[in-house]
Amino acid sequence: MTLLEKTGQAAIVKAEDVGALTMQFWSVFRKLPQALPGVGGGRRWRSAVRQMLDIGASALPMSGMMSLCTGFILALQSASELRRYGALEFVVALVAIGFTRELGPLITALSVSGRSASAISAEIGTMVVTEEIDALRVMGLDPVDFTLAPKYLAALITIPCLTVLSTLCGVFAGYLFLAFSLDMSLATYFHAVAEAILLRDVVFMLIKSLVFATIIVHVGCLEGMRVRGGPEAVGHAATAAVVKSTFLVILADLAATAFFYFMGWSATA
Amino acid sequence: MSPSALPSREAMISIRGVSMSYGGRCVLDRVDLDVQRGEILVLLGGSGSGKTTLLKNVLGLATPETGSITMHGVDITSCSRSELGAVRRRVGVAFQAAALFNSLTVEENVALPLRELTALADSTIKLMVRLKLLAVGLSDAGSLYPPELSGGMRKRAAVARAMALDPEILIFDEPSAGLDPIVSAELDELILFLKRSFGITILVVTHELESAFHIADRVAMLYKGRLIAVDRKEQFARNTHPRIRQFLDRQADDSPRLAAEEFISTYLKGSAT
Repeated sequence: MTLLEKTGQAAIVKAEDVGALTMQFWSVFRKLPQALPGVGGGRRWRSAVRQMLDIGASALPMSGMMSLCTGFILALQSASELRRYGALEFVVALVAIGFTRELGPLITALSVSGRSASAISAEIGTMVVTEEIDALRVMGLDPVDFTLAPKYLAALITIPCLTVLSTLCGVFAGYLFLAFSLDMSLATYFHAVAEAILLRDVVFMLIKSLVFATIIVHVGCLEGMRVRGGPEAVGHAATAAVVKSTFLVILADLAATAFFYFMGWSATA
Repeated sequence: MSPSALPSREAMISIRGVSMSYGGRCVLDRVDLDVQRGEILVLLGGSGSGKTTLLKNVLGLATPETGSITMHGVDITSCSRSELGAVRRRVGVAFQAAALFNSLTVEENVALPLRELTALADSTIKLMVRLKLLAVGLSDAGSLYPPELSGGMRKRAAVARAMALDPEILIFDEPSAGLDPIVSAELDELILFLKRSFGITILVVTHELESAFHIADRVAMLYKGRLIAVDRKEQFARNTHPRIRQFLDRQADDSPRLAAEEFISTYLKGSAT
């Protein structure tokens, strides 16, 4: 094979990947309304609620704890520098802005991608291996509408909620630090936080979390649907789902942050 | 068997000239096969004979490169998705690994096609589910979840689900795989019972000789992607085709051993000089 053929082959494989991603994406989004409550006797909605508990509620302790720790770390690290300039109170703004714009959505997405991208791809991969997906098709039911749509809906609803909660945890960690070091009261702290962040920051946070949610559930489902062969393929799919979704989340974060920055939307008034 | 018991000559599934290959290797080579109304046709074949691929084609999960597959008068290789959906509602499939949904109870599994694809009232669905579970002998296991069932019960539940929409065709993929001889024999009886009492046309894909000859009206055999025989089971058992004899008499394939012996002898000759 010549170099050209090799490059071309690899490019075709990657292009097929992107094609598969896009096709699955649109077919799910067309079916998404069917997972809403009140449609079709609410059967998909019940399954979506189960997924929400799985993806969202049970991830809360972990992502909350991670944000609390990261918030404290951020406060400690910045305090050691800011103290030299006698600007310890700027820790408030740093933690508040850092978490709302960046760390809240990112840490939540990373913890969910570790927990749920693997779980989703393993669950769907197992359904492929045990012929459950084939069984659905043969019964005349659409696996997209039946298994994928509730997962997408659950992720798109719960991940933004999780992001808000874990951002609150992170910001609260900043308070814990300042309460110890400066005896700052909770009221003063949250007043300072409210001064520091803008509504725009909160909107960015929610947009980012929606993008991350889409990435995580989409990669998880696609890797699961692509499982071929036996049970060991399910393990590979779960690993691939975590690796790819984590990578894509960071890439998307960079793209979004750069976009906001160059549009001049990042400057604090 | 009296002449009146013979199945009428109407093909429920009609496979014509179906060929397929994976990566340049031919898996199915111009296969022609008819499954007639009211009969049990057993498709025999060893591993790698192409029987799974043929089954996937019949179920519409794969599309053959050439040829056509007609069910209920519709060519499923070229029809629209909605037509395929309509055909699929009239065909029930019991998968090898049962393929029950683990998050649903047995009752809910059987009710699933009824709930999703019909507008029947809940009470009617409950009644139909009860009937199907009675027919397969699982009337007291309805509230259990699939992982709580034994292998045989799981297969019975899969048959009940395949029967949910009262199909005219039932397809079994390796019904006796992973079952002990007693349970496997019970499943054979169930298949015969379904044929007798509901007049369903049944296609069974398997490599289990004993069960094949017990339940079959006709037997077909695939070897390396070619259909080498289709016959009533009595004639099939007397077939003298070497591959069929090898399969029926359970003889091992000699060619790998001969190839290995030849390799060793040439190797020894080479190292002696």
